[in-house]
Amino acid sequence: MHIKTLILIIINSLIALVIALLSFSSYKQFSSVLNDRILLQLNSIKTLKQNQIEHLLKSEWERFEASQLYTQSIDTTVIKLPDSIKTGTGIYDLTAYHVDKKTTIGFISTSKRGTMIKILDYNKIKQILLERTGMGDSGESYLVGEDFRMRSQSRFYPNKIPYTLFAKTKGAANAFKEINGRGVFKDYRGIDVYSVYSLITVKNLKLVILSEMDVDEVTMPLKELKERLLGLTLAIFLLAVMLSLFLIKIITNPIKNMQKSLKIMAEGDYNQTNEFIKNSSEITEMFEALANLKASLQGAVKFSDDIGKMNLNTNFKPKSANDMLGKSLLAMRDKLIEFRNNEENTRILSKRMLVNGMENERRRLSRELHDGIGPYLTSLKHYIENRVEDELQKTEMKKIVDATISEIRLMSNALMPASIDDFGIGVTLTNFIESLKKSTTVTIEYEDLTQQESSNITNHQAINLFRICQELINNSLKHAQAKNIRITLSEFDEFVSLFYFDDGIGFDINTVKLGLGIINIKERVAICNGTITINAIPGNTSFEIELPIEL
Amino acid sequence: MNEIKLIIADDHELFRNGLAELLRKHDDIKIVKTVADGLEFIELMNNSFEADIVLLDITMPNMDGFQVLKELKNLASTIKPIVISMHNDGNYIAKCAKMGAYGYLLKNTDESELILAIRSVNNGKKYFSAEISEKMINFMSTQSISENVLSNKETEVLGLLSKGLTTKEIATKLFVSSRTIETHRANILKKLEVKNTAELIKKATKMNLI
Repeated sequence: MHIKTLILIIINSLIALVIALLSFSSYKQFSSVLNDRILLQLNSIKTLKQNQIEHLLKSEWERFEASQLYTQSIDTTVIKLPDSIKTGTGIYDLTAYHVDKKTTIGFISTSKRGTMIKILDYNKIKQILLERTGMGDSGESYLVGEDFRMRSQSRFYPNKIPYTLFAKTKGAANAFKEINGRGVFKDYRGIDVYSVYSLITVKNLKLVILSEMDVDEVTMPLKELKERLLGLTLAIFLLAVMLSLFLIKIITNPIKNMQKSLKIMAEGDYNQTNEFIKNSSEITEMFEALANLKASLQGAVKFSDDIGKMNLNTNFKPKSANDMLGKSLLAMRDKLIEFRNNEENTRILSKRMLVNGMENERRRLSRELHDGIGPYLTSLKHYIENRVEDELQKTEMKKIVDATISEIRLMSNALMPASIDDFGIGVTLTNFIESLKKSTTVTIEYEDLTQQESSNITNHQAINLFRICQELINNSLKHAQAKNIRITLSEFDEFVSLFYFDDGIGFDINTVKLGLGIINIKERVAICNGTITINAIPGNTSFEIELPIEL
Repeated sequence: MNEIKLIIADDHELFRNGLAELLRKHDDIKIVKTVADGLEFIELMNNSFEADIVLLDITMPNMDGFQVLKELKNLASTIKPIVISMHNDGNYIAKCAKMGAYGYLLKNTDESELILAIRSVNNGKKYFSAEISEKMINFMSTQSISENVLSNKETEVLGLLSKGLTTKEIATKLFVSSRTIETHRANILKKLEVKNTAELIKKATKMNLI
């Protein structure tokens, strides 16, 4: 489930619950207060009317008794009294005997002097009952006889004879059982009413007075309240939803952005530069942390990229002591540097061994020619000298042998001058260049600034320096069309420097043919742990080679 | 006429024999001994073997010609060494001359010159042919050993420094790298015990170096 939905549901159900509880309890409270109030009011009205009626009946009765008018002042055409009643004394409900069933209450007094009968003026009771102040639109007080028929006019059926209305309601029933009380129940119309009831007993007359009011009317304000509460609830709920939506947007937008960012990062892309709205300090911190993480990862990625490209001099600082990624990367780099150095060392070592082997072979060949073949040739010359008689032949043969010896000497020197071992590189180069001068018109000047007696140049370096010079001079003579060559070999305490200059046409370092031997020269410098600087400018080509003095 | 008593010291038997046969034709030269290496020869000398001249090869096993020359000097022997070698480079010649050789011959030297050399040396002269002398002198002329505090190159650099040239300019002029000039300069400062160029010029002027 989305966090948005979750928050929305939680917040709003909480709000809804609170509003519902508040509304419900206030409604209940109001409702019960209203109940009490209305019943109290009805009760006081009922009590007032009961008292008035009782008072009326009593005073009428007293007046009746006192009148001593033994006349049966009743319209016998309207009321047909049975004789049994005429023998009693008291107040009687005579409605049942009325022809039209009009409510009739009669006073009957039977004594030795006869029977007195008087019909109470119903209007007096009616006046009391019709006084409806404080009864609203539906409130009424009415009387019910023992036969549960109404004895007073109904407010709702003014044209009906009360006797025809049957009112066996809960209130009336209770009242006749002499339980005075109040309650909400259905009245004679079958409509819910608030009702207060009590029994009126005057002499032998028993009537129940009920003061009632329609629940509908009473609860009208309650309904209004209910509606208002509902409306309010709805409004608050809507507001809450809107607010929570807004809140959710505030909370979830950064989270969603974060989620988006993290998703992109999880796919391995650390270069996203989305700007986010940061609306609180926590979110800002979170995004700062994310940015830091991103930067750190970007750094790590860049670093690993560099490592991948074998740019091992790239520096990298782990973000903290716990940055395992950074530390592993550093360890990897160091390992790679070690590997590369080992590889480089191995490469140079194997190259050096190869070159040394080759040079040793040359040296052996050179010695073989010089010290092996040479003496045989000289012996041959001695033999010619001693044994050949013909002077002409002798001279010719000696010439051939001498030329061969010269040639052998040249070959031997080219292969490996014995001078290198016997005199060192400085002198060897002097000899080499002296011998070259005979065969070229190019001016070669060589300056030997090595230590004569105690040179620290190793034999290995000497041979390589000699080969480099051979190669350079060869290039100058063959390709550069140079007029002048200047070579200086300077030996110092720390290093030996070979400076080579020619005024030839120069070359392009990048496109120069392998045949020119530049690669060869560089290799030889490398196996001596030296450095080389090349300036191949037409008319001013120079090579600066520096080898360290290793004691 | 006294016979010239000769020893041949060379590791090639064929050469020794050839040479001996060549010299046998000459009555005034007598080969008294041939040895195959320097050690053998020095032992002879230690045993007071009598001889006038030794024809000495440079490249020999056990003890080479250079060492023999050195030993002879130490022994204060009267025997006169003539170096006979395959090497025709000036440095070999110069070194031998410096170490007390009376002559320097190439192995393929003609008989006449060989005899001339032996006789000249026997007469107390030194023998270096015109060709050999030229090679030696050529070589020696390239050697620049300075007796002064500063080497020749350092003096040259100092001179250019005093003229106000920059390191780069001096390097270009002298056909060396800038670092070489810097090192020369540093060495000059060290040798003259000064800290900077200004002090250097002052001191050099005082010492008449420039």
